[in-house]
Amino acid sequence: MAVDAALLAALESEIGVEHVELLGEISAVAIARYAAAIGDPNPLYSDRAHARSRGHADVVAPANFVAAVINWSPGAPYERLREDGTEADTHLPGVPAQGVRVMGGGEEMTFHEPVVAGMTLTRTTALREVGERSSSQGPMIVARYQDAYRDGAGSLLVESVRTVLLR
Amino acid sequence: MSANEVGTPALPRAPLELGTALEPAAYATSTVLVFRYSAATWNTHRIHYDKAYALAEGYPDVLVQSHLHGAFLARYCSDWAGEDGRLMELGLRVRRFAIAGETLIVAGVVSALDRLGDDRAAVTLELTETRASDLETAVTGTARIEVPIAWLADTGLEQPA
Repeated sequence: MAVDAALLAALESEIGVEHVELLGEISAVAIARYAAAIGDPNPLYSDRAHARSRGHADVVAPANFVAAVINWSPGAPYERLREDGTEADTHLPGVPAQGVRVMGGGEEMTFHEPVVAGMTLTRTTALREVGERSSSQGPMIVARYQDAYRDGAGSLLVESVRTVLLR
Repeated sequence: MSANEVGTPALPRAPLELGTALEPAAYATSTVLVFRYSAATWNTHRIHYDKAYALAEGYPDVLVQSHLHGAFLARYCSDWAGEDGRLMELGLRVRRFAIAGETLIVAGVVSALDRLGDDRAAVTLELTETRASDLETAVTGTARIEVPIAWLADTGLEQPA
């Protein structure tokens, strides 16, 4: 499948369709490991007593943690991984798993409330905008996906708008 | 540019006005750091840990993840904001790749100041992340950070209509 009128039409019919996923409970160790991977020693991310002294129920996640996790599933079996090592579920509703080259075109995040260990998160993903663009490598589709991360009570924590370029 | 002391302002903050340049911060990467970031984010793309794959794709080594660039920008803003400020928004676009082993230098310049209330203001920063090896811009971004209004040079800033 290439970038063509059929793919554009398929994506246009996907606009506004909300996909809600339960991501599960955010653990303190997942947050601390993320901070350790970046090399960020801020105790808000790893020291529960410190986080509590600052008014949080538990350790707080670095701002872009939830938006940076590529896949929240337990992981696909090896035989279902693609040649580049990625899982077929690309978190891009409407984009076929094979045949389309996906490039990142930027991300805009809004941080409403801190993500704290112990929260159970959901993510609502929707395609918001689709457009065509010509490039030196031929036709390209520009798609904008919005992700909204909420806690168990439904409070909005983080929003992320991802722009992807398809060709 | 070393690891920041906890709870102390690591970067000079005041007085802020349009055009104020914040002190840059350098973030060194390595194959181990890039691998641990892939592990912490369940990112299984070979371009970040399989050098042979990266070479076959035309890159000189494994690549820094776009979200890791975002993490450095977020850290820069959060460290600068400290406990009295709060990162509200962050947008970024990767312009050029960076390979594991690159040191990335993040810098911010104040591009807008808005009053948020009696004692709070929003500082907009234009961010750049530069490859130390050749001083090319890898990432551009924009952040909006809530800060005490006392950080502003002109604390009489009018409330927007």
